[in-house]
Amino acid sequence: MRRAIARRYLLAYALVLPVVIWRLATSIYPFLYTAYLSFFDNSPVRRTFDFVGLDNYANAFRDINVPSALNFSLFFTVISVSLQVVLALGIAEILNRRFPLRGITRAINLLPWAMSGIVIATAAQWIFNENYGLINDILWRINGQRPLWLVHPDTARMAVVLTDVWKNTAFLAVVYLSGLQGISPELHEAAKIDGANGPRAYWYITLPQLMPLIISTAIFGAIYRVLSFELVYALTSGGPGTSTMLLGYLAYLQAFRVLNFGYASALSMILFGLVLIVGLVGFVFLRRAWARL
Amino acid sequence: MTRWKLQKGVLNIGFYILLALFLLIILLPIYYIFLTAFAPGDRVFTQPLTYVPQSLDIIQRYERIFKALPIAQYLFNTIFLATTSTLISLALSFLAAYALARFNFPGTNVILLILLGSTMLPGVSTVIPLFQMFQTFKLMNTLHGLLLLYVSPLLPITVWVLVSFIKQVPTEVEDAAKVDGAGFWSMLWKVVIPMIRPGMATMFVINFIAGWNEFFTPLIFSRGPASKVITMALTEAQVIDASSQFYASWGNMSAVAILVTVPVFIITLICQRQIVEGLSSGVFK
Repeated sequence: MRRAIARRYLLAYALVLPVVIWRLATSIYPFLYTAYLSFFDNSPVRRTFDFVGLDNYANAFRDINVPSALNFSLFFTVISVSLQVVLALGIAEILNRRFPLRGITRAINLLPWAMSGIVIATAAQWIFNENYGLINDILWRINGQRPLWLVHPDTARMAVVLTDVWKNTAFLAVVYLSGLQGISPELHEAAKIDGANGPRAYWYITLPQLMPLIISTAIFGAIYRVLSFELVYALTSGGPGTSTMLLGYLAYLQAFRVLNFGYASALSMILFGLVLIVGLVGFVFLRRAWARL
Repeated sequence: MTRWKLQKGVLNIGFYILLALFLLIILLPIYYIFLTAFAPGDRVFTQPLTYVPQSLDIIQRYERIFKALPIAQYLFNTIFLATTSTLISLALSFLAAYALARFNFPGTNVILLILLGSTMLPGVSTVIPLFQMFQTFKLMNTLHGLLLLYVSPLLPITVWVLVSFIKQVPTEVEDAAKVDGAGFWSMLWKVVIPMIRPGMATMFVINFIAGWNEFFTPLIFSRGPASKVITMALTEAQVIDASSQFYASWGNMSAVAILVTVPVFIITLICQRQIVEGLSSGVFK
């Protein structure tokens, strides 16, 4: 009997082995090595590989770019995720109603998600162009204004947020849509009988039911934004100045332009730390929402 | 009662206005990007903008781009990498997902958590050692080297989604097949896989799109036409016919954008329902 179970386990291990090894080799091991590297001053240009302890981390906090990056990470994450959640909830409601052309609408809704991030980011640079871009053309026709989108730090930040919202809200809406469809209709019927409908039903029934989903998507959304790279790379290159700098992009620059591997590793470790914090904080909220259900 | 009916009428119009606005916001930028490819030379810069195709110069534009860059090679690389990585990912993930879903062996949860956690590792935190490994093993700028990295991020979500699909297949069906004398592998192939075909189809589409749109990996690990993909051609096409350092040919960029985007659009429009199912089931933990 024991031999049969052992054989089953052996088969199971054999089945998961390819995936586990692949992931370990291309993701986990490199990550651990980067952590190790962050304590060294490693630069192929200067041909160094000296142990420097926490120097890289200390330098990181003296670097002007880092606080800017942390600052913008916070701004970008909070505003973009909030906008996306609110808009996606609304879109999910729209997509949940019955109307002709609903199939096409749902398909069109997915198009931004399907587009490559680099295409959108590069095109956004053109769309936000202050003289010839689409957005300013429309704004100009409405009230004659032409904001200097990518030239001015504040508007550049908004441009990054808007582009991110445009691309990713659709995906979120689809998730919320299936969440909406998962709410048992009896709850809504009971609410109607009690005389609550419309906005009240939404606030007291739909939202609480969706809350775990909203929180978990917000957490993943936040993590995804903290890790964002392509958008900043193509749209603003961290500028103007350092107003749209992100840690991921900074680490990339340090690694592949300056070739300062040790420092870049430390930066990416700090980035990972950030992700951990977001994940843990989010998990606490998630537990509370589950408990309330 | 009448107030509610009146509100309903207004609500309806409001609904359709919102709907139209929503569709406009999504479609207008896309239309505009595609449109820019049609503008001849530097007539992209007009004020105010024109919203109608200006000419058919786009054909010559594509000729110039195809002559200046090995786009055909890029396209081939992209198709190859996207398709192959998807197939490998589906095959390996299915095996792992089956084991994780059916066999309750020690380490099941650990493996699932490690897979999930590995998706939160920043790209930059794994790239430096990989870069060095690739140089040591002479994998830089090779298709097979890139393939290794293309498959890797697909594995966790594919496994997670397939696990939830496999769990929905009743074990009685598998037992019945065993009673009929089916071996383990033919049971998998003839019974389990057909039953999770929607899940497999969805993950195929999602993985393919992800592979097609990939940019960061080729940015670091591709150095030439041997392994570059079309997403890289975006900025490369911009500098064709560049008269100065500051002149970026947005028309050329748009032309490449069309190449990068249209195939994915077609796939999305055709497989819309599968995508929606896959995206939503993958999140329900």
